[in-house]
Amino acid sequence: MTEKPIQEEKRAFLTGNEVVAWAALAAKADIMYGYPITPQNEIMHYWTRMAPKFGKRFLQTEDELSAGFTTLGGVLAGRKAFTATAGPGNTLMQEPMSMAEMMRIPSVVVVQQRGGPSTATVIYSQQEVTMTTFGGNGEGFRIVYSPSNHQELFDYTIKAFNTAWKYRFPTFVLGDGYQAKLRESLTLYDPEARGIELIEPEPFLGTEPVNGTKSYTNMRNTYNTEDELYDIIVRYGEEYKNIAPEVIEFQEFDCEDADVVIVSHGVVSRAAKGAVQELRSQGLKAGYFRPVTLRPFPADQLRAIADKTKTLLLVESSYGQMSKLVKEAIFGSTVALEYLLKPGVGVTSEELVAKVKQMI
Amino acid sequence: MSKTVKIALAGEGGQGVQSVAEIIAEAANEEGREALYIPNFGVEQRGGVSVAYLQIGDEPIGSPKFQTADIVVALSDRAVRRTKKYVGEETTFVYDTSIEGIEDDLPKNAARILAMPAIEVSKNELNPRVFNIIIMGAVIKATNVVSEDDAKAALEKKLGYKFEQNPSLRELNYNALSRGMELV
Repeated sequence: MTEKPIQEEKRAFLTGNEVVAWAALAAKADIMYGYPITPQNEIMHYWTRMAPKFGKRFLQTEDELSAGFTTLGGVLAGRKAFTATAGPGNTLMQEPMSMAEMMRIPSVVVVQQRGGPSTATVIYSQQEVTMTTFGGNGEGFRIVYSPSNHQELFDYTIKAFNTAWKYRFPTFVLGDGYQAKLRESLTLYDPEARGIELIEPEPFLGTEPVNGTKSYTNMRNTYNTEDELYDIIVRYGEEYKNIAPEVIEFQEFDCEDADVVIVSHGVVSRAAKGAVQELRSQGLKAGYFRPVTLRPFPADQLRAIADKTKTLLLVESSYGQMSKLVKEAIFGSTVALEYLLKPGVGVTSEELVAKVKQMI
Repeated sequence: MSKTVKIALAGEGGQGVQSVAEIIAEAANEEGREALYIPNFGVEQRGGVSVAYLQIGDEPIGSPKFQTADIVVALSDRAVRRTKKYVGEETTFVYDTSIEGIEDDLPKNAARILAMPAIEVSKNELNPRVFNIIIMGAVIKATNVVSEDDAKAALEKKLGYKFEQNPSLRELNYNALSRGMELV
């Protein structure tokens, strides 16, 4: 028995990519499959440096299609497998992940968003929201966490494994290049020491015979008739709807009497938080709402705020991908919408404060 | 609670601004303070100016990059031009005296502009290798984000293995740190 990677809680000062590797170790992942792409390369660098000490494995594949499919193969064989990617790699990853969606194979993908479309920048964006929430030729039966700091990156990467294995919907941790590369402090911990039970993976295929009889498993991503497919997708849709309330996570503060509520996700919500605090200190009625899960989206919670406030200010490092999710969530509301859309670049508290002051 | 100090360090690749930012960030973290360091990275940094963004405070840090710095340190002509956009009315702008042809590019709106002969001091008094440690001394003196002792401890952590092999390097680095502190 190898030692636990994290023996006791400790404060650490790391890059986000290191944090993800630590989190995967803490979540008892068995193997990472991956193909290098900036800005997530160091996840596999750190994983390959640390994992062998704890009996874990790594396979570099020829591309992201293969990384995704081998991850699913590992899962089918009973391993807690994961992968990480970004940008054009995430595009390729949609093919295996739509198979995971169809066959209900638990899977964990960490995405560190970079600029797009295509190669664009290797730096930063929030432009992979649409693709990560609704990519592939499916219905978006996925779970997508959008962390905002290193503590959350650690917490939600651990959580993603349990979520994926519990509900059997593909699960994504949607980080970004800034989170990948910045250094800040967090507390590393062993989830089991905190009473978090880690779901053990089991083989889906190739199981041992029971009483001499080998059971028959048929996992399908091919259907012969339209009706067959229809029944399955409707059932998945119902299941997804039923689990949504317990999966949905969000944060809000100062919304009760707010004239303007800033809606943002991920690293941008750090700027929003600072802006709302600053505006409140100046006596201006600003509020903060942040979906932590982008899929399923905290629609009812945001709708309740939309019914109370005058304006929602939608802020993101893309040309409106989160905004689309928001508009679907609050359909029918008459709240005014304002935007600060900055595709591929960061957002600061200062510019948000200026924007809100201009609006009020 | 003091407010978060925002620092932008910029230079040519190889001048060591990223190492300086990282060591200061680690020193602040060791003191139990909140620190966030992010380099500019990727294709933009190849053949371009290397910029390090550093924030240190007592509360969790907000967005990783910022619009206006409390202190900007620019170590080449291109770095001056690249970073003057981070200067505001309360910013201290520090540049090296040896940089030529930037008279018209210096920011007009800074609270304070400081020319510092760090390149000259490193060449004539110490060793060009510790140029960035002189800068580090200047930054910690100008901002008070970490103490000199904690800066030394962070240097020890980062370079201790080199100091073991050659103890005179320790003295050289410590001297560079002190000398940098004298320059501001």
